[in-house]
Amino acid sequence: MTQVALAYGFIWLAVFGYVFLVGRRLARLQAELDDLRRRIERQKP
Amino acid sequence: MPAPKSTRFLAACAAAFALLLLACLAIGAAPPEATMGVVQKIFYFHVPSAWLLMLSALVSAGGSLAYLFRGSERGDRVALAAAELGVLFGLCVLVSGPLWAKAAWGAYWQWEARLTSSLLLWLMMVAYLLARRYGGPAARRLAAALALFAAVDIPLVYFSVRFFRSIHPQTTVVSTLGPGMRGAFWLSLAAFTGLWFVLLSVRLAAEKAQAEIVELEILLEQAEEEKS
Repeated sequence: MTQVALAYGFIWLAVFGYVFLVGRRLARLQAELDDLRRRIERQKP
Repeated sequence: MPAPKSTRFLAACAAAFALLLLACLAIGAAPPEATMGVVQKIFYFHVPSAWLLMLSALVSAGGSLAYLFRGSERGDRVALAAAELGVLFGLCVLVSGPLWAKAAWGAYWQWEARLTSSLLLWLMMVAYLLARRYGGPAARRLAAALALFAAVDIPLVYFSVRFFRSIHPQTTVVSTLGPGMRGAFWLSLAAFTGLWFVLLSVRLAAEKAQAEIVELEILLEQAEEEKS
């Protein structure tokens, strides 16, 4: 039973961790994109 | 106004995790295997992870092929995203497999064909990511070549149990599963595959956003120069 719990626990943790990291990165990149778009808009005459 | 991309991806991830949770319930309800008992349940997560390691390597090779021979930027992005998922699911295979093996064989690891070729495939996916990060100006081409090289190992991983003397269970084990086990297995495989597609699209969106940022930074620089 310990092996089963370890295997399932590890896989859930790895996948959740990856989703968290990629999701956070995507949100940061989108914020950066929005900021750049606003700055470009401000430069327009 | 449509929801932002990150919100839509969050919803897709939640749906995939819900399916995975459903698969866990089916696995819990599935009868234990007669000789191995409850430890056999590792199989329901181990096999889908192994399938996704091979799928990731195949998709990474396909994207790399498109990048190397047609200069496809999208192909390059797909190759990178798939390689990253290959490392993730490969790690899941390489951790869950030995945990099952300890109970089944009495040892965490055996240097036999299936295990060794799987480890090699995972290492090549890791090498792909390292080449992308530290390969210098030719990093993308070098990594693409590595992805093509890794693809050669995919049939070796799959057929190794047939062509070599192996203690690893055969690929035909799925067709021998009892009715309660079969449903749980296919549900788990579907949940994992669905999750893989969601993660690939999230990772691709991040790569696309990164490329857009570079383009916009150049535009902004030009606009600021024109203004001054």
